Amino acid sequence: MPGATVGIPTLMNPAIRTAQHRSDDDVRVARACAAGESDAFEEIYQHHGDRMKSIAYNHLGNISDAEDAVQETFLKIHRAASSYNAEAAFTTWIYRILINTCYDLLRKRKRRGDESPIDGVFELTRAAASVDDAKRITLRKLLNDLPEQRRSVFVLFEIEGLSHAEIGEILDISEGNSKWILFATKKQLQEKWRDNSPVMK
Amino acid sequence: MTIDCKDLDNLLLEGDPFSMQRAAEHAAQCPACMQTLTDWNEISGTASDMKTTWQSDMLWPRIERSIKQERTRSAANVWQIAAAILIVVGLGAFAWLAHRRAERNEFDQSILRVAAVDEVERAEKAHVVAIERLEQLTDPKLENAATPLMVSYKEKLMMLDDAIAECQSNIQYNRQNAHLRKQLLAMYSEKQRTLQDVVREGNHAN
Repeated sequence: MPGATVGIPTLMNPAIRTAQHRSDDDVRVARACAAGESDAFEEIYQHHGDRMKSIAYNHLGNISDAEDAVQETFLKIHRAASSYNAEAAFTTWIYRILINTCYDLLRKRKRRGDESPIDGVFELTRAAASVDDAKRITLRKLLNDLPEQRRSVFVLFEIEGLSHAEIGEILDISEGNSKWILFATKKQLQEKWRDNSPVMK
Repeated sequence: MTIDCKDLDNLLLEGDPFSMQRAAEHAAQCPACMQTLTDWNEISGTASDMKTTWQSDMLWPRIERSIKQERTRSAANVWQIAAAILIVVGLGAFAWLAHRRAERNEFDQSILRVAAVDEVERAEKAHVVAIERLEQLTDPKLENAATPLMVSYKEKLMMLDDAIAECQSNIQYNRQNAHLRKQLLAMYSEKQRTLQDVVREGNHAN
């Protein structure tokens, strides 16, 4: 699903349309969202839903919260679409809202003193007995301890495969800064990786 | 160009395929850097496999429903806001009208007060005219007061004149003081009655 090229422009195919064309399309989609047109939202969901779920899941650690974050993001898009000014691509804007929604949920969870619930059920359905799954569980736990921005840069680059330029736009940081944050994050993870890695154990 | 251990971080920071290849070449000859690079790549390899998707047939209907509810709610909010504005405007208009009415009443009352003062002053003038007329008759008799009664009338009239003068000077500061007005009217009446007594007494004497 992610990266599809039909209908609205997507984050992963920036070269397909010219900037002006894309901007016009973005404004048109934003207007449709502001008007509450169900088709526009459905199109966004079809093109970006899977990636949105994945990003939310890798920030929040469980399916239930991830789906709540995606739903809340769509509501926020509906509320704020009339103020979209095409400064950033519409898709960038959507992912920015999603990530901020994830931060809100994480902060709410922290205020309530909740533990970050990692979705064990989901992992178990994927035959967690294998070494690879054990590594994934370990890395997910380590991600949970990262500060918000570091977690976002890591998730968007290493898991979702976005470029530093795209990450910079989404998180409102420079490309160089994104690169530096990724390096520092991986260094931080690396220190704990050896102690936690199932292979090392 | 040869790479040594302290360059490894820079290559990892760059992270592009060329830098990673050079890092790998160096790591092949350096066990410490090899360990670092292995962990580094293992983290990236594990992460690239963490892209998570799942079937969620209920999510889109949930989103669609919540957007529809949001639209309905915002439409209801618009009506609520409109109703609130209407109530505020209505209350404002009512308060303004009430204020206007109170102002008008106050104005009307002040007009009445002025009218009452005019009426009192007219009554006072009538007394003054009547008194002046009587004084023309009594002045010669009082100037040549022959009897002790006439002398006492003269003294009484002099006292009344003093009191009237003092009362008038007080009234100048507050024309609407009803108490002073009553006192003045009473004194005028008393003076009028006294002058009439003087006239009557003069006639008896003649």
